[in-house]
Amino acid sequence: MTIRTRQRLIERIRKRVLIRLALGLVGVVIAMAVGAVMFIFWGVYNVSALQQHTEPVYTVLTTALDRSISQRAEEIDVPSLDDPAMAQQGLIYYRDKCVQCHGAPGVARQDVGKGMTPVPPNLAHTASNRTPAEIFWAIKHGIKMTGMPSWQFIFTDEEIWEIVAFMRQMSKLSPVEYQAIAARVDSKETAQTEEAEASSARSGTAPEVLPNADRGRLAMYGYACIACHRIPGLVGPQADVGPPLAGIGARRYIAGVLTNNEDNMVRWLRHPTQVDPLTAMPDLEVTERDARDMAAYLETLK
Amino acid sequence: MNAKVLVCLVLLLPVAGCGSEETTSSLGDPVKGKAAIAEYGCGSCHAIPDVPGANGRTGPTLERIAKRTYLAGVLPNTPEDMVRWIRAPETIDPRTAMPNMAVSVGDARDITAYLYTLK
Repeated sequence: MTIRTRQRLIERIRKRVLIRLALGLVGVVIAMAVGAVMFIFWGVYNVSALQQHTEPVYTVLTTALDRSISQRAEEIDVPSLDDPAMAQQGLIYYRDKCVQCHGAPGVARQDVGKGMTPVPPNLAHTASNRTPAEIFWAIKHGIKMTGMPSWQFIFTDEEIWEIVAFMRQMSKLSPVEYQAIAARVDSKETAQTEEAEASSARSGTAPEVLPNADRGRLAMYGYACIACHRIPGLVGPQADVGPPLAGIGARRYIAGVLTNNEDNMVRWLRHPTQVDPLTAMPDLEVTERDARDMAAYLETLK
Repeated sequence: MNAKVLVCLVLLLPVAGCGSEETTSSLGDPVKGKAAIAEYGCGSCHAIPDVPGANGRTGPTLERIAKRTYLAGVLPNTPEDMVRWIRAPETIDPRTAMPNMAVSVGDARDITAYLYTLK
């Protein structure tokens, strides 16, 4: 009898302890959730670009970034990068678009690349530590929240490979050698630029592919349209700099001046200041293909 | 004499008091403006929040127009230029499809006052 009562007593105590433990756990979870909300709401987190992450957070973020890129780079077929002409063309693009933030051997980055977190890496170092596919992926797609933009609506895949080809060469150049190559390219650059312009004109006048609304939606991010317009289906600052584009597919006029049809929309997206010299919408150097794809997406917004 | 000055001061107080709000409300009466919008038929071309039947799709929607950075895509959005735009759009952008509806100054001010309630 006494053993049974003791057993019952023990059972009762165990239950009570379990219930208290469970309640305590729920309490901790709730407190953590409230704490997290307060942390955000009271602005505790310092977003200053000079407020570096703590070492463990930095390690976690960098690991996530490295893993994300290497996973995605696995599926990329790397072309031959040995043709010196490729690297030479890549240097021109590099000096035009990359050196501002990343610098070059013996060449300082400009102010825009200085006070950033994360700091734009030295690409001579990157080139010797990353595979060509990883570098290609990072240039093409950009890296969220690092300041690295996606270049896929500015450069073709071939042009990005040329940049990669140059970067691989750059990692083996002394500052003196880099200066010498850069000076040589300078003397040829005029001819090269003309050629580049001719090639971009070629890609501009070949709308062989059918307009692709999904690609157009991505291009709206790529050309930063969401900085000024509210666009259904896109997440962004929801700014009212220009008019919201909800229902644009059914609107009769574009910018209040052009009849709304596909060709006019493409014209407007590519050269707004030619359509209306007074407009605040700038010419964003949109290619014909990208404009066709964007127009296809806008057409779906009824 | 003293009393007169006092009355004047009391009357002037609200004018002097709240600078920016005063400029907006001195533009016109938003309630009259809403009626004027219906009268001029603005809604046949524009979608305008809280104006019955205003669901036109010729021009852009006027939702949150008070917050819009640019007026007609060409001028910084100020009440003065909004009045000008409503009265004579072609003087601001000769290429615009928006017609001159011969809106009176008073009506344009009232309409502007209403549009500036759309935030």
